[in-house]
Amino acid sequence: MTETGLGSGGEPGGTPTVSARRRYRRLLFGSVGVGVAANIALRLLSYPVAAEAAYWVGIVAFLAVWQFSPVTLFDERDAELERRASTLTLVVAAVVLVLGASGVRTLGALGVYDVPPFVSGVLYGYVGLFVVFAVAYGWLSRGR
Amino acid sequence: MNNEVRARREERDISQAELAERVGVTRQTINSIERGRYDPSLELAFGLADFFDCRIEELFDPDGDDVT
Repeated sequence: MTETGLGSGGEPGGTPTVSARRRYRRLLFGSVGVGVAANIALRLLSYPVAAEAAYWVGIVAFLAVWQFSPVTLFDERDAELERRASTLTLVVAAVVLVLGASGVRTLGALGVYDVPPFVSGVLYGYVGLFVVFAVAYGWLSRGR
Repeated sequence: MNNEVRARREERDISQAELAERVGVTRQTINSIERGRYDPSLELAFGLADFFDCRIEELFDPDGDDVT
């Protein structure tokens, strides 16, 4: 998600980019947070349609700020942190998948324990995650 | 990798936030570079060297202790 780029320094008119970045980042995450909070509140109040509308308003606001913000919202250190966090997430998912899949198969074959569909669903979800990763990696590595 | 960013910034009597602003990154990034916890990209290293009006190798020492 992170897009990086070095700015050319201060913004036209001398508006500090540091405070502007802080403000836009707050707006970025705040909009989706408010959207989700409103969604939960409206669903609890039995307004399912309004709840979904509030959710999508938050998502669209998030995307709008992300795409049209006049300042660079994330810099290269943010991108590096995001890359490392993504790698760590994939490692955790791989460990869970490797151990979990083997465990599920073994327990099922021995008839010791029938794994609930939810657990199988989670494992297939991880498989899907790695398929997406492989496709994305292949696509990004073209021409590099 | 050791670097002279903090020393040169203090020579010029500017804050981390001001330097961050001038080179287009966050204050946290400048702080991490100064503490040796983050090695900047080539683009940012050039930007910092340009700001301090020096060569990259005067600002960064690749043979220095790697703090990370």
